[in-house]
Amino acid sequence: MIPIENFLLLAAVLFAIGFYGVLARRSAILILISVELMLAGAAINFVTFATYLDPVGFSGAVFALFVITVAAAEVGLALGIVLRIFRERQTVNVDEVDSLKW
Amino acid sequence: MNDAFGNALSFRYELLLPEIILAITAALVIGADAFRSELRLGRRILPWLSVLGLLVAGGVSLLWIDESSDFQLLLTIDNFTTFFRVLFIATAVFVILGSHEYVEKHIGHIGEFYALILLSTVGAIYMAAARELLTAYVSIEILSFSLYVAVSLARNDRRSGEAALKYALLGGVASAMLLYGLSLLYGVGGSTQYAEIGAALAGGAPGMTLPLLLGLALIIAGLGFKASAVPFHMYTPDVYEGAPLPITAYIAATSKAAVLALFLRWFSGPLLPAIDDWQWMIVGLSLASMALGNLIALQQHNIKRLLAYSSIGQVGFMLMAIATISEVSASALLLHIGGYLITNLAVFTAVIALYNRTGTEEISGFRGLAQTNPYLALVITAGLFSLAGMPMLAGFLTKFILFQSASQGGYLWLVTFAVMMSVLSLYYYLKVIREMYLHQPDGDPSRWRLTPTGYLATGVLSLGMVVVGVYAAPLYTMADRASRVLF
Amino acid sequence: MFDRLPLPSQFDRIIVQGGIAATLFGVPVLVVLLALLIGNRIEAPELVFWLDATVVLLGALGAVFLRNLVHAALALIATLIGVAGIFLLLANEFLALVQILVYGGGVVILLIFGLMLTNAQDDPVVTDGSQKPFAFGIAAILGGLFVAAVIDANWGAQTLSVVPFRDFGARLFRDFLVPVILVAVLLDIALTGAFVNARRSSDEDAMVPTGQDAEARS
Repeated sequence: MIPIENFLLLAAVLFAIGFYGVLARRSAILILISVELMLAGAAINFVTFATYLDPVGFSGAVFALFVITVAAAEVGLALGIVLRIFRERQTVNVDEVDSLKW
Repeated sequence: MNDAFGNALSFRYELLLPEIILAITAALVIGADAFRSELRLGRRILPWLSVLGLLVAGGVSLLWIDESSDFQLLLTIDNFTTFFRVLFIATAVFVILGSHEYVEKHIGHIGEFYALILLSTVGAIYMAAARELLTAYVSIEILSFSLYVAVSLARNDRRSGEAALKYALLGGVASAMLLYGLSLLYGVGGSTQYAEIGAALAGGAPGMTLPLLLGLALIIAGLGFKASAVPFHMYTPDVYEGAPLPITAYIAATSKAAVLALFLRWFSGPLLPAIDDWQWMIVGLSLASMALGNLIALQQHNIKRLLAYSSIGQVGFMLMAIATISEVSASALLLHIGGYLITNLAVFTAVIALYNRTGTEEISGFRGLAQTNPYLALVITAGLFSLAGMPMLAGFLTKFILFQSASQGGYLWLVTFAVMMSVLSLYYYLKVIREMYLHQPDGDPSRWRLTPTGYLATGVLSLGMVVVGVYAAPLYTMADRASRVLF
Repeated sequence: MFDRLPLPSQFDRIIVQGGIAATLFGVPVLVVLLALLIGNRIEAPELVFWLDATVVLLGALGAVFLRNLVHAALALIATLIGVAGIFLLLANEFLALVQILVYGGGVVILLIFGLMLTNAQDDPVVTDGSQKPFAFGIAAILGGLFVAAVIDANWGAQTLSVVPFRDFGARLFRDFLVPVILVAVLLDIALTGAFVNARRSSDEDAMVPTGQDAEARS
């Protein structure tokens, strides 16, 4: 039997890597990719808790399904905005998109 | 359970009726916009259709006063929900009434604009109604997503797309953090039901100290972002500036109030047993928001940015009530949210009316308004004084009760700081008022008038501001009845 | 825009490089794990877990460290498929299926299209050097905290239970009906958002007036 900690540690490391990507990457699409990593970490957490700690209700597994759905919707929405930005300024680098002061 | 449909047919769908009406109205608005030329409809039909749908939904939601019904343990329809239903629907009505002229000039996709306001209202209402984490999470995302899109709707304005990009990317990160926090909370509580999480936490959750603490920190960070509390406020001024004005008003009103409703539900119920773990975090957020919001607002010369920083400061005041959570402070917070929404919308509808005339967002654009339109100058002055907390207006009374409840909760030092910041805020509001009254108009000094709906929206809202300021008893009773179901 | 798409030869190079990298990292891991398995130090499911975790983490590191944007997106595929494997190990076939369908079939394609449409090939390396150590520090602290929390906590139960398809569907549509309805609203909003932003607005191509609508707008 695989200990529960294995899955939780994997999720934690995945989330941290994604968080690093969010802070370090400058291209809007790569930031989106990093956010996907963070969400994947959260989804693993949910499913792990559902299978190990909540076997009757498994609400966490249902939660993970919604996480996947919302993440996919978010990518679609954000890419639409990215395409518009690219059309307006020929760049998707968030450092160059700065007509508003941060 | 063997019958595939028997169960689903016996659900009480009528409890969802107001939101179903809103969603159907949104679909009708998009449809009417798409087939406008075929149906020979004027453009004016869209705001009126939206307002009609909102009013019907608001009327229907009054059916459940003093009830407490559940939908499948997912939502609860009680006085708290009804309070926010009415509040959010009223907010949407006034945003639409106050802005339809602006929308025709500056919004690219008009049907989508109104539909998004309607749909985001659904999300905001269910944030207040949810009694289960998944429903709450999806509602948060509905509100956030529709705001990302709404921010991007300004026509011929490069700032709009940029603001939307920043909002969507940072909002996605905040959602991910919130979600990870929720997953830890689920692991600690063993359920997504508020009641069961509360029971698990009341049992002390042995051996789970660190996951609980981290989960709470991430949840507060994620929600703090959505409410734009310092230090998660970085995006606020940019988004407020880049968004179309009505959406700025809507974010400042509904988005903040919805997050605070969620805070109230969570921190008065399931998370109350862990108060020692999160109280200091909320106090920190509150302190930082009050200080930074009000101090940076002093230097702003764009009215949207000024109101953005002022709203950050306002969130700081409101979070005080969460930090000292009790039945008294919850009802004080509800009262304050009511007063804040009225005041904020009065200011924004007036600013929108002014923008339609001048086309500038700089504070210098307010010059001589007292000569060219004394009525509007009076509304803005009253609104800003109310935000600063001057007597006889909504802001003073609600803020006074809020501060009083927080000091009863044992945070006198925090309240003292809040009073100081409140006085400080008067300075930057006065800067705007000085432009209106002590300067000559830059351009055309002739008088001008608002549109009829402009008069209606600003008039009703300023009246509300004065009524709440002088005679708050009705709103206070409602807030009290709404907060009583929380504990 | 077709000249910007990677040529087949470039794809070949990616595959070869990826294969070399996978061999370099994968073979030692496999050897160590097999040794542990033979020595009865770990059980077979755990071996699969570690292999899968290696794929997930290498993919994630690739996604945040690779300098070529398309390569980063391809590394993301590895991670997401690996996560599907994790769901399988957690005895949830349904989620594994959804993960592969939604991510492998939808999201990653969308992301790669986004990269192509925004001239990914022409973009120079886009990582801000001065911010990297700071980002690394914050992420390391955060990750350290999470890891500490997982190790510190006493999670109790250690049994893994299977979630059958049928129960999952019943739970979803009977007990979580409101979120299902709400997520429909959410997808509608996302669709609207993608549409209004990705479509050229009528102002941008004002040269081509489109009848009545263009008149109404002007």
